[in-house]
Amino acid sequence: MLNRRHFLASSTALLASVPFATLPSFAADWASVEAEAKGQTVYFNAWAGSDTINAYIAWAGDLIKARHGVTLEHVKITDTGEVVKRVRDEVAAGKADGSVDLVWINGENFRAMKNDKLLFGPFAETLPNFQFVDVAGKPTTRQDFSEATDGLESPWGMAQFTFFADGAKVANPPKSMVELLAFAKANPGRVTYPAPPDFHGTTFLKQVMVETGADAMALAKDSDAAGFATVSAPWLAFLKELHPVLWREGKQFPQSQAQVTQMVADGELLIGITFNPNEAANLVAAGTMPATTTAWQHAGGTIGNTHFVAIPANAKAKAGAQVVANFLLSAEAQAKKADLNTWGDPTVLAISALSMDEQKMFTGTSVAGSVAAPAPTILEPHASWVGMIEKTWLENFGKG
Amino acid sequence: MVLLFVVPLVFSLVTIIPSFFDVQALQALLQHPQFWGGIALSLFTGIISTAAALYLATIVAKSASSATARDAGFFIALPHLALAVGITFLIVPTGIVARLIAIVFTGWTEPPQIITAQDPWGLSLIASLVLKETPFLVWAMLSIMNRQDVKPLLAQHEKVGKSLGHGARSIWYRVLLPQILPRLVWPIIAVFAHGMTVVDMALVIGPTQPPTLAVVIWRDLNDGEIITNARGAAGVLMLAAAIAVIIAASWLVLRATCQLRVLYLTAGPSAERHSFNTGAKLWQILRVIYLAVFLILLLQSISGHWPFPHLAAQQFTLKAWQTLFTDNAPLLTTLCHAAAASLLALLLSLTWLESQPANRDNILLFICGASLCLPALLLGLAQYRLYLHLGLTGTHTALFFAHLLPTTAYVFIMLQGPYRDFDPRWSSASNGLRISSLQFLLRVKLPMLKSVVWSATAVGFSVATAQFVSAQLASSGRHATLAMEAVSLTSGGNRALIAVYALALMALPMLAFFLGAILGKPRWSTA
Repeated sequence: MLNRRHFLASSTALLASVPFATLPSFAADWASVEAEAKGQTVYFNAWAGSDTINAYIAWAGDLIKARHGVTLEHVKITDTGEVVKRVRDEVAAGKADGSVDLVWINGENFRAMKNDKLLFGPFAETLPNFQFVDVAGKPTTRQDFSEATDGLESPWGMAQFTFFADGAKVANPPKSMVELLAFAKANPGRVTYPAPPDFHGTTFLKQVMVETGADAMALAKDSDAAGFATVSAPWLAFLKELHPVLWREGKQFPQSQAQVTQMVADGELLIGITFNPNEAANLVAAGTMPATTTAWQHAGGTIGNTHFVAIPANAKAKAGAQVVANFLLSAEAQAKKADLNTWGDPTVLAISALSMDEQKMFTGTSVAGSVAAPAPTILEPHASWVGMIEKTWLENFGKG
Repeated sequence: MVLLFVVPLVFSLVTIIPSFFDVQALQALLQHPQFWGGIALSLFTGIISTAAALYLATIVAKSASSATARDAGFFIALPHLALAVGITFLIVPTGIVARLIAIVFTGWTEPPQIITAQDPWGLSLIASLVLKETPFLVWAMLSIMNRQDVKPLLAQHEKVGKSLGHGARSIWYRVLLPQILPRLVWPIIAVFAHGMTVVDMALVIGPTQPPTLAVVIWRDLNDGEIITNARGAAGVLMLAAAIAVIIAASWLVLRATCQLRVLYLTAGPSAERHSFNTGAKLWQILRVIYLAVFLILLLQSISGHWPFPHLAAQQFTLKAWQTLFTDNAPLLTTLCHAAAASLLALLLSLTWLESQPANRDNILLFICGASLCLPALLLGLAQYRLYLHLGLTGTHTALFFAHLLPTTAYVFIMLQGPYRDFDPRWSSASNGLRISSLQFLLRVKLPMLKSVVWSATAVGFSVATAQFVSAQLASSGRHATLAMEAVSLTSGGNRALIAVYALALMALPMLAFFLGAILGKPRWSTA
């Protein structure tokens, strides 16, 4: 009942707020959404920096086509900021049948689109499969970088900042930023992180911020210049000590996490970083990293979040996009995604809420490259911090 | 046909000029931490690469043979991006060169900590640009030297020079080159503008902290914040202004140093007979590097896990090639758009040449030349805004026009000279035989010009395959071409896949080139 009321309320709100001539594809019940979706093509704009992820999206596309008659086109992008720009430009130019139907998103990009009313919805919490999402155990499925999702994006996977290395070369992995600094000093030129705005690089910087004493309460709130200045002083001091012992003395940085991973596989770097706790195991399975690979998180915890899919306000195939979002939340799709041989991305579902058959799909075992002792998750700083972090980093380290 | 160019050009002026008065964006640009470093790098890479390519081209063209011209055409057809990818694979610390050194000389067991590709000074970017632009300038010089109005003039000058006692080298530098260089102004400007504004190559092999200004701008234009987009637009104008300033300054410097050059030019006659081999040797080196790039891409494309310092991968696999053909949308999109754009460009150019009097050509030549000399970022942004207003972004139509514009410019420039040089007596003779003008065109004129016609189309095709900035903006990421796919892959780590896409980027123009040569082959030979 709540769902239906929610539906009606949101439909009216939507009619009032979206200026486009086409009626919102927001149907009264799921069956009609599915009916409308049939034959639509959904352009899914998703970061394409990883082959395993691209392959997973292709797998999902095949099943969605066969079962729902919806064609899924993966639009491969390197930075989700591009998509925000594209949708904003299109909406400003009055283009109602936008080029983006579904976008893989979270954090500052979600905040930007939400604030500028560039998103369709709320739709997420009325998707049939949303009922299995572990909203109690995984609060970040509804709080994206301390910003309420308000049903404007549908959770897709869980992420936690994780490090990995070949255990044969790194016997005692550094379990904190202070230890990492000592490790880099002992192995100059063999550690680095990708330059922001690559989100792995930005997250590394946030992790440094957390570990150099930033107050969690302050980070959870909208950042302001004064607050940032207090937090950033020890952060900058740490980075200034770390950079001279990084790869190329911290004067140049790799442009992406995938580049770092490749350099670790080549032996040019010793420590890789990832947002997917299972990526190292996945790399071992793919033969990119040796079986002696280990993965770890900092003892005091590392930054974790949820990643989502959202539908732009001017999407052409809104019904098709909802069908895709719902499929991505299904136990089958989530289990396949969590499979170490596929992608290894942790599920957003509460496994105990699933049927026994579905639960069996999630039985994973510990394999080479898994995180041995998982550390607690630290919530993302509020999305507004990202801009300040990137700007300050560029001013201090972007000039070489 | 003029409209095709004029509409986007005018539109760019109308929509972009206001950003120049956007004081806030301009201020933001000047305060961008990477602005000054970026513009310094852009100037450095642009000026040095142009000067070096021009210098090398004059040496090569001096002793050029018909094989040189053929090679040059071939090298031009290979996209910049593919070359940059290949060179990166050669020189990175985990690349084949470092592995050879490791095994033969040093016994390194870990990749050396040396700075090669993406060096902070832009040297690897300069080297790639020089490798790519030297053949272009050689080709441009050779076409000028073979022009019907220039060839006899040069022959005459050469004769006079010899009779005055100049040696061959002295004739080249003191007599012939001063005749050729003024005619080479447009190609030089095009090379310079390209070197200053290139995005795809700079993303792959250019410096990073800071990158060149073109890359700083590219990031701004693609950002999620409106203010940052405006800063990028201001950057585009700033870069265009910097190019204009440098061109004006070089012109002034050339004028001011006129007396100095006269001193050199009149310091003859000298019998210096420096060996003519330098040019041939240089050309040989160039060929070896291109071959090495091709081979390393081929090797990398089938290599699986390949740890340092092994000289070959531990396993070989065709997986990356399978991806290219199973996930074939970028390949097909590129193939269709490049083929359609080059053929339509040919049709448009022929229509113009057949319907317009020759004295109007200069207008169109100027517009085509200008559109090639304007920064790709400026034209790309202008086209993007135009398509946005028309609601065309993300469509094949927009993507097609983004390809058609530069393709037509190249095809027309290549076709115009030889076409207008066509001996009018053939036409008079045919008129006498009462052959209709269409029949004359199809059965006499085009068959006689087919070599030029098809080689222009092949160049058009290769220009189309290499489009990145405007195509990326126009297609809104919806329809990926090989060039776009290759750029996004280079930020990832799958080297085999990157190599496959670079090779595919090379293969399409090569095919077009060979197809052009076969179609353009004369049915009979006088030899």
